[in-house]
Amino acid sequence: MPIFKTPFNGYSVKFSPFYENRLAVATAQNFGILGNGRLHVLDLSPEPSLPISELVAYDTADGIYDVAWSESHDSIVIAAVADGSVKLYDLALPPTSNPIRSFQEHTREVHSADYNPVRRDSFLSSSWDDTVKLWTLDRPTSVRTFKEHAYCVYSAVWNPRHADVFASASGDCTLRVWDVREPGSTMILPAHEFEILACDWNKYDECVIATASVDKSVKVWDVRNYRVPLCVLNGHGYAVRKVKFSPHVRNLMVSCSYDMTVCVWDFMVEDALVSRYDHHTEFAVGVDMSVLVEGLMASTGWDELVYVWQHGTDPRAP
Amino acid sequence: MEKAINRQKILLHHLNPSSSTHPNESSSLHASACVAGDSAAYQRTSTFGDDVVIVAAYRTAHCKAKRGGFKDTLPDDLLAPVLKAVIEKTNVNPSEVGDIVVGSVLAPGAQRASECRMAAFYAGFPETVPVRTVNRQCSSGLQAVADVAAAIRAGFYDIGIGAGLESMTTNPMGWDGSVNPKVKMFEQAQNCLLPMGITSENVAQRFGVSRKEQDQAAVESHRRAAAATAAGKFKDEIVPVTTKIVDPKTGEEKSVTISVDDGIRPGTTVSDLGRLKPVFKKDGSTTAGNSSQVTDGASAVLLMKRSVALQKGLPILGVFRTFAAVGVDPAIMGVGPAAAIPVAVKAAGLELDDIDLFEINEAFASQFVYCRNKLGLDPEKINVNGGAMAIGHPLGSTGARCVATLLHEMKKRGRDCRFGVISMCIGTGMGAAAVFESGDCADELCNARKVDDLLLSKDARLK
Repeated sequence: MPIFKTPFNGYSVKFSPFYENRLAVATAQNFGILGNGRLHVLDLSPEPSLPISELVAYDTADGIYDVAWSESHDSIVIAAVADGSVKLYDLALPPTSNPIRSFQEHTREVHSADYNPVRRDSFLSSSWDDTVKLWTLDRPTSVRTFKEHAYCVYSAVWNPRHADVFASASGDCTLRVWDVREPGSTMILPAHEFEILACDWNKYDECVIATASVDKSVKVWDVRNYRVPLCVLNGHGYAVRKVKFSPHVRNLMVSCSYDMTVCVWDFMVEDALVSRYDHHTEFAVGVDMSVLVEGLMASTGWDELVYVWQHGTDPRAP
Repeated sequence: MEKAINRQKILLHHLNPSSSTHPNESSSLHASACVAGDSAAYQRTSTFGDDVVIVAAYRTAHCKAKRGGFKDTLPDDLLAPVLKAVIEKTNVNPSEVGDIVVGSVLAPGAQRASECRMAAFYAGFPETVPVRTVNRQCSSGLQAVADVAAAIRAGFYDIGIGAGLESMTTNPMGWDGSVNPKVKMFEQAQNCLLPMGITSENVAQRFGVSRKEQDQAAVESHRRAAAATAAGKFKDEIVPVTTKIVDPKTGEEKSVTISVDDGIRPGTTVSDLGRLKPVFKKDGSTTAGNSSQVTDGASAVLLMKRSVALQKGLPILGVFRTFAAVGVDPAIMGVGPAAAIPVAVKAAGLELDDIDLFEINEAFASQFVYCRNKLGLDPEKINVNGGAMAIGHPLGSTGARCVATLLHEMKKRGRDCRFGVISMCIGTGMGAAAVFESGDCADELCNARKVDDLLLSKDARLK
């Protein structure tokens, strides 16, 4: 299976929505605590046994915590940078022209970025300054700032079907659901007793959302009945850093954790843990499932490695 | 740099240790201990929150008796600072403490018990908190900790303090009164009267521990203790004590703060020690240089039920697992640890190979070397910051001092260090040992020793 060694510690990995063999990786020096960052755009070889090649790499003055592909332009990538900036890169332009835009509004580290998959004209960034900001490609300032969270916002994710709805997960132990047309959040879900590090919407049921927390669990919720979770997924030995629903199977989801493992779950089954991958030798902090190739997964961690593998196979197999 | 500190803090919150045992997590998956299997000891079951944990352990600096920094300090003024420290640093309400048990050997029993009670008042404990002493010779401090752990486990109270105190300036070793003539009829009883140094000579002679080996052990102890002091490793565990020094000529009192051990000799070499004459036996091998020092010092350990520690939000420094005291031949009392350690380790369901760190009291180099070799222990795991030959051996305090030293070192080593053992030989022929586990930072599953064969039980192995 393809492996790529990054010079810095990995923070996030995303498959391109346009090319099945392309992915972007966000990395940060010194575990993202101090130093530079680098955004890698990688190309997979059609043959799985051949190595991953690097299309391009961009350096930043501070660590990059997250990366997001544009849904409207195949060559545009968004980076969430630890110095509080959100940077836009265009792969079609030479390195000297990049970044094509740098938004500098967040007052603290930007932890996540997500592009609107329905309207395709805007994206979100969430930050440790307790806010989420809404941006469009053609405006120099943010369209709006969402300010209700009381602690770091680790994740903000668009609903896959409703163009104006997104959810945000925060260290204040709440998940909030917003409609950008409304002045405030439409729902506050006290999902966990501890910080919530990630959230994701189900791709087939727009009312289902998952949250991942420092309490080592992943919870799946139906927003129409938010008093009790649909299920609680236990099995990680440390905080769960990312959670993602599969684009191909309604009940399938993937999570990665500080326990250095990537887990695949079927949340409708009583014994929900489908498989556990322990290929990382440091905190596993980034995971993604390909939209274009069913079962294709990628993960990255603080061990400075990016793995790409088919679900059901050993990521380390040559 | 402030930005880096903030980021580190936020990321470290993701690894919040208390989340592993949050009381509301009723639906959590727990690794269940299979009591029939050999790996039961590795699966810590903290679901009920009823095991006994250590949340603080401190000691004074250790100073030479009669000549060191505490030569003019009264015993109760030595104990009060460490009792005060375990309360102040953890912010525990002193009235919640169920008992204070102090190990102490040399002072007259009733007087020492009164001095410990007085020290508790100096430290801010109300009259409702009881105090008692315990004397199991050189292991008294460890026995105090074990007694408190047993009382908590029995449900007598939830929070207790095991401590140790000895001022060998005020109370030197000695024997009061005459000896019962009856001892002549019982060889073992007669051997209880042997000076400790003679038992060291007996160990060296009977088990072939050479003078050179003993001197090398002493040099290593001083070297390690000096390195640990220079690296600041003892700062976490030593409580500075403000006291007085009286000039013997002028009688003038001077206020001083003692925060560093003063018995450590960094420059000691094997050839230096080789020049010393044996003290106890002509042509013997035990010298002042390869024996533990006569010392003043005190120490204290705060223990509580795990559920109480979680409720108070206190970091867990260590877990008390087992304690064992065993008897051995009084003539070679120094072999006590070699007999006690296997018993305590086995009682914990572990094997010697599972123990990552040892604090074995160095009463004498001969018995220390013998026990190390007898048990086949890796020298890199024993007394890694020096031992009693360098730091000193205030008889009643050493056991609790070793708890402080062991747990602070285990904390520094993190995940690589899960189980630790403390042991000492005991005058009149005993050994004591206790097994500790590192605190919450231990991963519930990943640090377990891999069981080589898949057999469920040791009994199933064919041999």
